[in-house]
Amino acid sequence: MPAPTVKPVASKKRKNVKEAAVPSSKRRAVADPDRADATANIQELEDQISESRKYYNNIATLISMLSTDEAAKKPNMAVAVALCRVFSRLIAGGNMTETSRAAENEKVIVAWLKERCREYQKLLLSIIRESDSSSQQITALTLCLCLINERATHLPGEDIQVWSSGLFKGVFESVVEATNGQAVLSEFIEKTKEFEDVRYFTFMQLAEYATTERSSETIDLLISILSASDSVPGPEHEFESLYTQSSQKNKKVVSVNSQKKRAQDAWLAILRNNLSQSQRKNLLRIMVHNIEPWFNRPELLMDFLTDSYNVGGATSLLALSGLFFLIQEKNLDYPQFYHKLYSLLDADLLHSKHRSRFFRLMNTFLASTHLPATLIASFIKRLSRLALNAPPPAIVAIVPFMYNLLKEHPTCALMMHRNVRPESLKAQLEAEGMDDPFDPSETDPVRTNAIESSLWEIETLQSHYHPNVAAIARIISEQFTKQFYNLEDFLDYTYQGMLQAELGTEDRPFKRTPVVEYQIPKRIFTDRLLEEDGGQDTAPGSLVRELWGFA
Amino acid sequence: MPPSQLKQLKSSLRDGGLLGPQQSKKQKRQNAKSGASAQSRIQRDSALQAIRDRFNPFEIKTTSRAKFDVTTRDKAPKLTASQARPGVTKSLGEERRRQTLLREMDRKNKVGGILDRRFGENDPTMTPEERAAERFARESQKKLRKESMFNLEEDEDEFQLTHGGQSLSLDGANIGDDFQERDMDEDEDSDSELSRKRKRAFADEENDGPEILDEDEEGEELPERKKSKHEVMKEVIAKSKFHKLERQKAKEDDDDLREELDKGLPDLFEMLRGVQPPPKPETPKDDLASMNPERAALLAGNSPEDPESQYDQRLKQLTFDKRSQPTDRTKTAEEKAEEDAQRLKALEAERLRRMRGDEPSEDEDEDEEEESEGEGDGSAESDEESLPDDAKAFGLQLPADQTNTRPELAVEDEDDFVIDDDLVETRSDVSLSFIESDSEMESEEESEDEQDPQEDELINGLTLPEHKSGDIAGASNDTEEPSNGLAYTYPCPGSHEEFLQIIEAVSIQDLPTVVQRIRALHHPRLHKDNKMKLGRFAGILVEHVSYMADQPEHPPFAVVENILRHIHSLAKTHPDNVCQAYRARLRQIATDRPLNLRPSDLIILTGVATIFPTSDHFHAIATPAHLCLARYLGQGAVSTLADLTTGTYAASLFLQYQTVSKRYMPEFINFTLNTLCHLSPKEPSESLGYFPSRSPATSLRLTSSKPVSSRKLQFWDMTDLSSTTTTTTTTITTTHEETKLSLITTLATLLGTASDLWTDKSAYTEVFEPVQKVLNHLTRSCKGKISPAARQILQATLDKITGQLPQARAARRPLLLHNHRPLAIKTAIPKFEESFNPNKHYDPDRERAESNRLKAEYKRERKGAMRELRKDANFIAREKLREKKERDAEYEKKYKRLVAEVQNEEGREANAYEREKRMRQGKR
Repeated sequence: MPAPTVKPVASKKRKNVKEAAVPSSKRRAVADPDRADATANIQELEDQISESRKYYNNIATLISMLSTDEAAKKPNMAVAVALCRVFSRLIAGGNMTETSRAAENEKVIVAWLKERCREYQKLLLSIIRESDSSSQQITALTLCLCLINERATHLPGEDIQVWSSGLFKGVFESVVEATNGQAVLSEFIEKTKEFEDVRYFTFMQLAEYATTERSSETIDLLISILSASDSVPGPEHEFESLYTQSSQKNKKVVSVNSQKKRAQDAWLAILRNNLSQSQRKNLLRIMVHNIEPWFNRPELLMDFLTDSYNVGGATSLLALSGLFFLIQEKNLDYPQFYHKLYSLLDADLLHSKHRSRFFRLMNTFLASTHLPATLIASFIKRLSRLALNAPPPAIVAIVPFMYNLLKEHPTCALMMHRNVRPESLKAQLEAEGMDDPFDPSETDPVRTNAIESSLWEIETLQSHYHPNVAAIARIISEQFTKQFYNLEDFLDYTYQGMLQAELGTEDRPFKRTPVVEYQIPKRIFTDRLLEEDGGQDTAPGSLVRELWGFA
Repeated sequence: MPPSQLKQLKSSLRDGGLLGPQQSKKQKRQNAKSGASAQSRIQRDSALQAIRDRFNPFEIKTTSRAKFDVTTRDKAPKLTASQARPGVTKSLGEERRRQTLLREMDRKNKVGGILDRRFGENDPTMTPEERAAERFARESQKKLRKESMFNLEEDEDEFQLTHGGQSLSLDGANIGDDFQERDMDEDEDSDSELSRKRKRAFADEENDGPEILDEDEEGEELPERKKSKHEVMKEVIAKSKFHKLERQKAKEDDDDLREELDKGLPDLFEMLRGVQPPPKPETPKDDLASMNPERAALLAGNSPEDPESQYDQRLKQLTFDKRSQPTDRTKTAEEKAEEDAQRLKALEAERLRRMRGDEPSEDEDEDEEEESEGEGDGSAESDEESLPDDAKAFGLQLPADQTNTRPELAVEDEDDFVIDDDLVETRSDVSLSFIESDSEMESEEESEDEQDPQEDELINGLTLPEHKSGDIAGASNDTEEPSNGLAYTYPCPGSHEEFLQIIEAVSIQDLPTVVQRIRALHHPRLHKDNKMKLGRFAGILVEHVSYMADQPEHPPFAVVENILRHIHSLAKTHPDNVCQAYRARLRQIATDRPLNLRPSDLIILTGVATIFPTSDHFHAIATPAHLCLARYLGQGAVSTLADLTTGTYAASLFLQYQTVSKRYMPEFINFTLNTLCHLSPKEPSESLGYFPSRSPATSLRLTSSKPVSSRKLQFWDMTDLSSTTTTTTTTITTTHEETKLSLITTLATLLGTASDLWTDKSAYTEVFEPVQKVLNHLTRSCKGKISPAARQILQATLDKITGQLPQARAARRPLLLHNHRPLAIKTAIPKFEESFNPNKHYDPDRERAESNRLKAEYKRERKGAMRELRKDANFIAREKLREKKERDAEYEKKYKRLVAEVQNEEGREANAYEREKRMRQGKR
């Protein structure tokens, strides 16, 4: 029971302190303007502590100075810095280590110091959490990290503990939960980027923190912390930039594998949390570059990816690339992959902004020449159906893609050119016409019967209103002399780009003067001179005039 | 085995007739007498030479094998090619070297020498006589030049001996000479002709005109006589005077001629015009009284011309009478109609050609090439943009059509004015009083002196609306015409701000008049700058149209329409300006508000529909306009009724654009179906087609419980709908419901029209099956909520589409797109060349062949040069050796001579010694 025994000592010392401290505090209270005095006073107190043990009570004074009522909002940072120095010195000097042989009162003092230190740490964390000024938050964070460094280096048994469950845990939590923590968060992220041990333990804390369900804002924060550390150490990586030198001895911190394992755990913890739709998309977007490299066992991502893939819409499109990575690298067997891919070709696909991304992937998926022609035909037909409702940039991409597929799979050429063989069938066709044999509602791409169909849609698009699009659509009916079209050149068109190409950015003289309509119409909006035409409006523009009133 | 050389020689000698039986002395003598012997000697020599040649096997080199005869295009086939004479060529070369190289060698390391500069010395083309003559001529020239003051020989010309200021020289025909001397001269000169000439000369001399004669006298007859300096100067002065006189005379003549021509000018104008000039107003005469007296005098002085010139003028007028230039025959109505029909037909054909685009094969291939070559968007696109244009070869014809070849077109250009006349007449029954307006317009007429009928017509057109404006002004009880806000003259604005200033005080109703006046005042025929000004004005008008439409108070559409038609008419004469202005508008739309079209933009786009042929495959304005519409339809906002109205208008415009060319626009279908789905009272339970669904933030569904009726949509609905928030809610809801229903019916009508347009498309079924579904859904869900009329419209469209779908099915056939000639398998047979010539190069790569040829030439030249150099070196060595040998021989000779001399001496001395010795011995 050290506490009661400590009392007299403490009280005795406090008396000594009183003589020195009380006037100073009074002076500070009275004359705030002369801050120099105050800082000098703090300096004095700090110096006394380092001089002799009898001034240890100054620590309590300083802490009390720090822990005033509004301390968390407007802390006196000079005091905090001074205290940090004091504690660092004490820790470094071994004054806070408890030796078994030490005397009882020594133990009491150590325990008392530890108690103060804990108090001080709590104050710092509350500063991080609640302070208004971001500079104070950042200072507090730096002080905390200093303290952690000292503790990890000099206190035996604390080199792991201070990181895993000690002060760092508190630091991490308070950074994440800080009220206006943008600056301190970015500072913290800087630290994690800079020091590999900080990163390691951050992963650790994050994994632990994210196991419980958190609000979506918190998860956003966590994601930003995690995605900031995007440089995955290579297998031969040398760990040099460490915050505490003692980490060097820690085998786990300096091993690539365990780092990756921590990161993997952290990511998994986040992925398992309840993600909003946009977060999910965001994660999928950074999946290939930021997340997967951290994974020792990427197959752990499988659940997440397949779940995302099954969501449908844009999420599926985004999940596709991650999934493809797994299929390619990890030999993931995704049952009915093409089935699913086919189902992605829906009305919104060609209007989505992920269109080009999807086309790039689809180009890879359908590149194999061993795919059955029926399947390829289904894709072609489906795309051509969609092209009927697609914007010009999409058509521009679809047609060359189709051309490449047709070139690769000559069997599908039947969709462009089909001689009906038996004469009887031909006669019947002539008499009755035909329905499209393609079944758009069939979800299995092998059974759509698309190969029996023809690409009427593309032929229709040959009379697209935009001349360039029409010209591209016409390649289907030209002779297939070109080996293949480079799809990349067609993917990144937009309305804006097309308009810009047509109009240019400034007035240029025409190469050829545009034609002007020869006849000046009698009316554009009004019914001018209508009786001349016998009351029947047949002049150009009659359609609009008929439907719209201009008054 | 051939006989021995000796025998051969003998036989050949015998054959050549050189060896024969001995001739008798008598025969010899006979031959000598007749000269036959000399002839026979020549014969003998030539025969001997031939024999020698034949027996020297190295003289002639023949190629070892015979070549086949060929015919070449070379004029002189080389017969000697097979027979080279190496000896001869060698000796030739040797000779040439001796002449050049040897000389150089001799001259080497030597300085000095004499350069022969005598005239013609080194010119082999001159005969010695010519040379001598030339030299003599030069020498005499040199003497004549008198370049040296100290040349004693010519002193007498410069410093003449005088006596009493008179020359003492006897031979000069000087001024101061007296008669006797002249007589003496005459006596001395025995030539009578000369004397006669001289006499005449002297006679002329007294008339102060001696120069010319003197000159030729001296030139021809007395070349040796020298002229004094004074004489020469006088001559020069007189000559210059004479020439000056002549020039003046010529100038006067020219002036006369010009004057005459100027006088004829008015007649010429008349004739050009082909009309009788209007009787000149008498005003100038009257004015004379009030004029400045000086000026009046001037005018009066000018007017009474001498009757002769008047007569001339009349005569000329008669000669260039109108009869000589027949006018075009007045065409009958049928002819005119036919011509019109022809022209329209041609224009239609041209339009169709443009609609089809280009020659299908080439250009698209190129398109594809460019597409596929992986160029960046911009460049590829811009290239594509230019390509279809290139194929047209049409732009060049158009301006020519408008100005020169077809006068009717010029009239058509004025069409605007003609119609405006009609407009005026319908409103106010004017009896056109030319005089009045003329007097009003006088200030302008004065400035435009040239009066051709076109101009009259223009002014005519101009005055009409003026009159009208006067009427309007009268109606609005403003008596003072010029101050009623409508001036007669307006400056041509240079920018839109200026234009706004100009029309600040003008009511919007009068805007067309102002525009027309500006156009009339700045008609391109009036001033050369006007064309440019009007071009700018056209651009400003385009800007103004959109400006007007953006004003909070909506401009009357009649005015907008009128301005648009003005723009159209200007576009014919200034296509570049108008097109640039339109492109600028479109660019602004595309960059500033692509998804939020304003009414002004829609009016501009409506203007595009009438001004430009929207059916063209590619058009610098129509294509971007299409894209603008499509972009709005595809991506524009659909959150309010106003948005939907704008979209519906854009959709109608699009169909308007494509009424002729019938091109397909996916965005149209997407927009109409999406809008219908979201306007229909009930949400469709399942997806009705492949169109993407874009739903508004707040529901815009038709909600009314009681049937509402549809109305004709108004253009300004698109703004009014969003602004009318102040009225009571009930009226809002009812008007909104009405608008919704009208939107539905309008869209349905549009779909019906689209279905008509696209019936021939092979994917008609795919396009219109969703349409059918949507309409079905609509009619089902609208049951009981809409008026019968609206219901009828929907049903009609639905029926139309349902009727056309089976037709499309019946017309559907499998595609047969690849009826191309099968591609030839690439051949691997080597390409054989008939009649291959190894010397010829068959390299298909021109550049490589060229460089190879050059290389070969270089090699050949190099070889030749080396051979020559080597021969030169040989020659030099040989010459040196020869020289050395000569020197050595000389030395040897000298040495021997000396040795012999010494030996002689020695011998003599030895003999003397011997003798001495013998003598001594003898003594002893």
